[in-house]
Amino acid sequence: MRKLFVASLKMLYRDKQTLFYALLFPVIFAVVFGLFDFSRGPKVDIAMVGARTSPVYRALVEGLRPVASFSVKEGRTLASARAALTAGDIDVVLSVPGEPPAGSSPAIGPAVIEVLYNQSNFDTNQFALGAIERIVDRLNLTLSGVRSPPLVVAPNGVKARTIDYYDFLLPGLVAMGVMQFSIIGMAVAIARFREQRILKRILATPLAPSKFLVAQVGARLVLSVVQAALIMAVGMVLFGARVYGSIFWIVALAAVANLIFLNIGVAVAGRAPNPDAAQGIGNVVALPMMFLSGVFFPTETLPAAMRAVVRYLPLTPLIEALRTIANDGLPITAAGSQLALLGVWVLVSFLLANRAFRFARA
Amino acid sequence: MTQSEPAVEVRDLVKEFPAPGGGTIRAVDGVSFSVRRGEIFGFLGPNGAGKTTTLEVVEGLASPTSGQTFVLGSDSHKDAARVKSRIGVQLQAAAYFDHLRLDEILELFGSFYPRSVSPDVLLAKVGLSEKRRARLKELSGGQAQRFSIVAAMVNDPEVLFLDEPTTGLDPQARRHLWDVIGSINREEGKTIVLTTHYMEEAELLCDRVAIIDNGRIVALDTPLGLVRQLPAAYRIAFATGRAIDEEDLARLPGVAEVAALPNGERRYELRVRDPQATLFAFTTWARDRQVALDDVRVSPATLEEVFLSLTGHALRE
Ligand SMILES: Nc1ncnc2c1ncn2[C@@H]1O[C@H](COP(=O)(O)OP(=O)(O)OP(=O)(O)O)[C@@H](O)[C@H]1O
Ligand SMILES: [Mg+2]
Repeated sequence: MRKLFVASLKMLYRDKQTLFYALLFPVIFAVVFGLFDFSRGPKVDIAMVGARTSPVYRALVEGLRPVASFSVKEGRTLASARAALTAGDIDVVLSVPGEPPAGSSPAIGPAVIEVLYNQSNFDTNQFALGAIERIVDRLNLTLSGVRSPPLVVAPNGVKARTIDYYDFLLPGLVAMGVMQFSIIGMAVAIARFREQRILKRILATPLAPSKFLVAQVGARLVLSVVQAALIMAVGMVLFGARVYGSIFWIVALAAVANLIFLNIGVAVAGRAPNPDAAQGIGNVVALPMMFLSGVFFPTETLPAAMRAVVRYLPLTPLIEALRTIANDGLPITAAGSQLALLGVWVLVSFLLANRAFRFARA
Repeated sequence: MTQSEPAVEVRDLVKEFPAPGGGTIRAVDGVSFSVRRGEIFGFLGPNGAGKTTTLEVVEGLASPTSGQTFVLGSDSHKDAARVKSRIGVQLQAAAYFDHLRLDEILELFGSFYPRSVSPDVLLAKVGLSEKRRARLKELSGGQAQRFSIVAAMVNDPEVLFLDEPTTGLDPQARRHLWDVIGSINREEGKTIVLTTHYMEEAELLCDRVAIIDNGRIVALDTPLGLVRQLPAAYRIAFATGRAIDEEDLARLPGVAEVAALPNGERRYELRVRDPQATLFAFTTWARDRQVALDDVRVSPATLEEVFLSLTGHALRE
């Protein structure tokens, strides 16, 4: 059995094509998503138009500059600023009137600061208009000679744990990587062994066929540890993903839960007449989980009826448990109900594999 | 368990498969035979005759619909583990692991048995010692077949089953393989059960041959014994300087048929039951008629003809 296990590992290691899919494919995902920067807020380009010497103009520029997400551009005429806004190069145009004509009194009404903005850019507008209004309010107070306003806001932001989309995604990619590779890879490998009559050849020896399958599953379990660790390493080292919990438990959980997907792979191979069919059936099983079980978005966004089903698919509790550790920084025991569900799946998938796999058809 | 028990014994074996359109296909239809220890026993038959199916039931890989199969005195289904540890199986067109080297494959298969022969010894047997670090796909067709024979011998089996060991090989590689199989049988005393499409292979290699067609054994004997069953088991071929009277020849004792060979060179062939009796009468006839004989040959009929006469159709359509 030891020789069989070592030989199974060797076969896996030398099968470069399988290794490529197992290791490179999910890593490519991790890299591609890592290249997007999900942590930045919206960046707003503001064009200032008007007399640069006017105190209102100066005060606005000084008020806007310190806001990190604002980039203030000066020196355009109103017409060219409008054109840039229409073209989408500028998000907001602030048009400040010149010096009030001499002798005018406040009685003729306030000077109007015209704000032109791109109406289709809802988030940016909310944010930019709010900030501009606050600056103008402050200016108004100053201009009206109010030195100490009766009410002030004391911002006291509590530093919460920062989770950006990439931090959220990474545990999902780990789970997806081991699942894809195991269901489809295992199913195709065994279907190929059968097609080449290797299974039948083994059946002609005293070796219990189940031992051969166990060795295959074991070898792939080892590979899934490497796979999970590699995806985590790429995400954390190259792209600075934040992981708050134990990396050991993340990798260990992904690998152990992978037993489920390997069993499913064996079950698929048991039903599939040839390697191509195994690939097809494997995809039919794996793809819905990949899209529904919350790899890319929280399952809370699914319709309730769908979520009621999806939460019981094996990939869902795995991803939830991984996020409990990675994103919430909790110990693995905090994901008790997910672990229980995974335990049930290990059992169920083993029975499925056992039932579906007709070794006699070898 | 005594040495006198046959290596293989099959009684009334029937094997049916579900037919694609419903109903069943009877692949093996009541086959009985036994193989003695130490002999090379051949199954000769066309595609779909039931050769592979018969072997697979005997090897314990497929269960019989009815009937019994024994190997070395053990039931190959009730006592499968015991049988499997004592036989070697080469499957028709089976592959081995793509990503293991030859010695690693032999080592691995050896580990499935309580006792095994070292890969080096096995590879040396079939002249593949230099290829021990090669992958199977780097071998020629003949080398790959030789490898698959020793891969069936990792457990030093008492009975070796070879399913079409030479199919798809060129004549030279085929001859080489006959030598290998022959020496395994003679030098190691292993019983060998093989299947083939080739008459020549059955005639030259096998001690006894079972001719199988449509799931039934239509004849079972030594190659010569099978040929003797034919009404005219021998032929006398000759050439003459002038045309002869064929009717005249047909009246000679023991002549079943006279045929002019179709190459236009006045070559004839006599199908005869007893070549000794006929030859004497034939040479006398030639002297009396002053026929100059040339290139006289006497040969037994081939299994091809046996097959044709038993089944009414040629081995390969
Ligand atoms: N698993 C199977 N399911 C259905 N039919 C089968 C199966 N295996 C064999 N048969 C059928 O049984 C018959 C005998 O097949 P078998 O493979 O024993 O022939 P064979 O003599 O070995 O032929 P060949 O010389 O082509 O190898 C064929 O008609 C074949 O189609
Ligand atoms: Mg066959």
